[in-house]
Amino acid sequence: MDFESLSADLRALQQRALDEAAAAPDPESLELLQIRYLSKKGEITTVLRGIGALPAEDRPRVGAIANAVSEAVKAALAAREAELHAEVQTFRLAGERVDVTLPGRPRSRGTLHPIPETMAAIAEVFGRFGFVVYEGPEVEDDLTNFQMLNMPPDHPARDLWDTLYVDIPGRLLRTHTSPGQMRVMQSTKPPIRALLPGRCFRYEAVDASHGFEFFQVEGLMVDEGTSLADLKGLLDEFAHALFGPRKTRFRPGYYPFTEPSVAFDVECVVCDGVGCPACSRSGWMTILGAGMVHPVVLQYGGIDPERYQGFAFGMGVERIANLRHAVPDLRYYLENDLRFLEQFR
Amino acid sequence: MRVPLAWLREYVDVQLTPEQLAERLTLLGMEVKGIEQWGADWRSVVVGELLTVEKHPYADRLHLTTVNIGSGEPLHIVCGAHNIAPGQRVPVALPGAVLPGDRHIERTEKMGIASEGMLCSGDELRITADAEGILILPAEMPLGRQLSDLYGDAVLDVDVKPNRGDALCLIGLAREVAAATGAALRWPEIAVEEAGGPIAERLRVEVREPELCTRFVGRWVSGARIGPSPDWVQMRLQTAGMRPINNVVDASNYVMLELGKPTHTFDGAAVNDGKIIVRRAFQGERLETLDHVDRELTEDTLIIADPRGPIGIAGVMGGADSEIGDRTTEIAIESAIFDPVSIRRTGHRYALRSEASLRFEKGQEFRLARIGADRVAQLTLAWAGGSVARGRVDTAPAEPNSSQLAFRPRRVSKLLGTDVTAAEQRALLRRVGIETEEAGTAPRIQVAVDPRPLAVPAGEDLVIVATVPTWRRDLAIEADLAEEIARVRGYESTPAHLPATLMPAYRPSPLKVRDMIRETLAGAGLTEVVTHALVSSLDEARLLWPEDTSEPAIPGDLAAQSGDEIVVTNPLSAQHSVLRRHLAASLLDVLSLNERQGRGDVAVFEIGKGYARVGDGPREWTRLAFLMTGAAEPASWNRVARPYDLDDARGIAELLCQRLGLPTPSYVPDARGFPFHPGRALVARAEAGSEALSGRMAEMHPDVLARWDLRAQRVIIAELASPVLDSAVPARVRVEPIPRFPEVERDLAVIVAEGHTAAEVEATIRRHGGALLRGLRLFDLYRGAPLAATEKSLAYRLVLGARDRTLTEAEVDAAVAGVRSGLESEIGAHLRT
Repeated sequence: MDFESLSADLRALQQRALDEAAAAPDPESLELLQIRYLSKKGEITTVLRGIGALPAEDRPRVGAIANAVSEAVKAALAAREAELHAEVQTFRLAGERVDVTLPGRPRSRGTLHPIPETMAAIAEVFGRFGFVVYEGPEVEDDLTNFQMLNMPPDHPARDLWDTLYVDIPGRLLRTHTSPGQMRVMQSTKPPIRALLPGRCFRYEAVDASHGFEFFQVEGLMVDEGTSLADLKGLLDEFAHALFGPRKTRFRPGYYPFTEPSVAFDVECVVCDGVGCPACSRSGWMTILGAGMVHPVVLQYGGIDPERYQGFAFGMGVERIANLRHAVPDLRYYLENDLRFLEQFR
Repeated sequence: MRVPLAWLREYVDVQLTPEQLAERLTLLGMEVKGIEQWGADWRSVVVGELLTVEKHPYADRLHLTTVNIGSGEPLHIVCGAHNIAPGQRVPVALPGAVLPGDRHIERTEKMGIASEGMLCSGDELRITADAEGILILPAEMPLGRQLSDLYGDAVLDVDVKPNRGDALCLIGLAREVAAATGAALRWPEIAVEEAGGPIAERLRVEVREPELCTRFVGRWVSGARIGPSPDWVQMRLQTAGMRPINNVVDASNYVMLELGKPTHTFDGAAVNDGKIIVRRAFQGERLETLDHVDRELTEDTLIIADPRGPIGIAGVMGGADSEIGDRTTEIAIESAIFDPVSIRRTGHRYALRSEASLRFEKGQEFRLARIGADRVAQLTLAWAGGSVARGRVDTAPAEPNSSQLAFRPRRVSKLLGTDVTAAEQRALLRRVGIETEEAGTAPRIQVAVDPRPLAVPAGEDLVIVATVPTWRRDLAIEADLAEEIARVRGYESTPAHLPATLMPAYRPSPLKVRDMIRETLAGAGLTEVVTHALVSSLDEARLLWPEDTSEPAIPGDLAAQSGDEIVVTNPLSAQHSVLRRHLAASLLDVLSLNERQGRGDVAVFEIGKGYARVGDGPREWTRLAFLMTGAAEPASWNRVARPYDLDDARGIAELLCQRLGLPTPSYVPDARGFPFHPGRALVARAEAGSEALSGRMAEMHPDVLARWDLRAQRVIIAELASPVLDSAVPARVRVEPIPRFPEVERDLAVIVAEGHTAAEVEATIRRHGGALLRGLRLFDLYRGAPLAATEKSLAYRLVLGARDRTLTEAEVDAAVAGVRSGLESEIGAHLRT
């Protein structure tokens, strides 16, 4: 054995090993090649056994060649292994393909009823202006529902509120949220900014635009110098928040508990003010009633009308919801047909 | 109130289109609800002239006519009326015409002769009440013109508010038009030619209730001839929405519409002894009213009587016996002022509210009693002839002067939020007939009147005194004048700005907790419903939902335990006659409605009030209920359907408790049976300090489903009450430090007899787990071999740990052994390992 033949053997061995590694069909074959060439009893080691017959000065040279061969084989095996892994993974993933255009697994979410949702939307707007929410009783007394609101017994304006009475003397089902004004004034001191949402009742036959149960939101603001101009500014903000940039109209109205009284209109949401059946061709839709709190009412509330003044407003929640969602019939709200409710996704 | 513009123009010039006028009135506070085109339903009705009128050859009662309509050949028209003659001008409905009531006119054949249209009666056109004869038009009516061009009018529907009784008439609205446009108001000329003898020989009046009848003015007309009113009068009444009756009744109605003064006319011959007495009815007295209803009168009813008995209910309706009839010649005119409250009560008591009583209820201008009587006498004379007796009977001839009302222009500006000078305020008031002057000595300012009057000294402010016209009974306080100033000035000119005053103190919103729960439940797949608070009294009996549990007492929920139903005393229908105490029945109704629409999968919730009577007072508290039936997870291409069951209800309750910061609820079985499935009902309760949530959950008994006619086989309902639902502040989370030492999990399969509930097993484990047991979760429930048929296996995962150290194996083993022996000794469990 001489140096030349030994190094030639190693080079041949390298070539063979590299060829075999490249052709290895699976990880198991690579394992066998690893054992055959690189293990302690592997072929490289076997070749090196002949090193003892070489002159001492040649031995390190052969050792270096053997190391290089060993590294090359290791690298070839690793490369092939990576290649095989990639092939297998590609094959596996290819087999796992799904139709990604299928509909998803349903996550069912319920919907929220438009009445409380509309109340929340109203409360959100007025909340921005410091109005805090109170709630008053639905089974009210005549005193608070009418008399303290400047409607003594037999007042002709009581006709505006046909009333349901209950079997508790002096009590009735509140016909509006306005008695809440009285309860707020009696329980707190100015400055007052209060919002009173809730259910109301009237003796009224049911049709597309009337019901005997309905919801209102009442507002009350009392302070020194709170004026009609403040009311107008606030209602404009409210209308714009709920109905977008529409024209608004402020005109005289009538309520026994306000003086001056106001009716507040927005440009018809159906025809944008052109005039259509929905707005009786006027181009306007009334969305709420309001006014400066009557001095009689302030006094019943324990507030000095010479020092303080304020405004109140009241709106029908169904009316606001109708205009926002184009609901054609008031009866939809309390009927709870899921075909209606589920549209409020 | 219907306002025909042609009639209105008699009192004020109107240069505006009906639409413009409607807007001006609306902005002045007289809201116009709609504009009707009167005559719009006379289509193709033209003015024609009768050329010939001959007998029909085959029918005695018919005429053959030829009619010139101004162009083309004369038309041949067959007509059944008898008041026609050549030369008259008449309304002709051409073939293709449409008359009121959607009556279509075509070319026809009558008894063998063709008719090319129809001659119209006043009734057919709804112009007059005459259905017998053809409407004879004035000779100057142009031939061939559409009748709607000549008689058509715009009628405004004005919503006059209850405080403005003075504007419930044409004069009143003409005043408003004058204020809006600056045009002058024209009063009708009211003058009565008195050709008869002194009225004292005809009529005496005794008012026994001067509080209830503050003034009675009487007039008398003799020798009148009753018949139809002139056509133009009938037409005006028709356009204003009132049916013509006869010339005397029409005169009374005309004056009511014109001046707002209701009056009544009696057949003078039926007023015995010519004496009218205004008094309260006696017990047992009866009267047949004009609507031919025989009424028993109550003692507090104010009536008009003669010495023999009642002849009318004051201000509401006259009696049938004294009605103006064809043979009436003597007419007694009543023009009185009655107490509004008395009239209102009477109207309600007899369920009789007339145009007259509506006006009396709103109060009447005092001097109108005199003016109204004169006007009715004048028109009766003009339309029915006869002679008017000299003078009036008048029980209170002294008419009060206009009242004075002081105001501070600075206060008006402050209320409106804009500076309006005193001079401008005075000018604005003048436009609605309110004269003003600067106050001499500082008068007191009327800030409020009854029921809480307040008058204050004016102080340093400039004070103006307004003279309130007698008809403006609504102007009583300073703020009333502020409204007058604002509305004449135009609300639109009020500036808009946002309040810049102090904010109130923070207050948490009671809606917040409920909104959070609503979002949570919607996220869990439930749809929110809002149902009626008024329910059928039968619902409670039909469902028998038990009262809320009473131990331990839940704060704020006392009403549910002991309250009675609150009943509506004047319900609209039996379906909505009591206030509900529970929501469950309402949810069954929702299910029923949706089943009828073909829906089988229904999951809904409601947050609503319960109402009950406790002692003498009402109680209201917030409740939460949900109903689930059908598929919880509907079938899809990638899963099978899973039906709702009671586990879902408990899961939702547990979710709610988490959101509300309450501990996991505990469950106690409820085996009462109806309305629940006897083996599938429970009471749930979660408590943390003063906060608590409790309620019932159950699969409903099949008999309940049958009572609601439901197709669903299994319906789960839960109904909970909690003071948390009414509190504004959600519970605050308190953080526990994250454990620093590892925790150990051990699984335990507990085999127990069926009789032991999971709640018992869990409670036992917790009791014996001690401080080291930091978590416990049931992860499997097994029945079947190799267990005995009477046994079940509950598999729990225990989490053990300590805050200050890592547990040793020995500590863990000891803890588990403690749990194990506790289970064995207390509930006879054995453990599978």
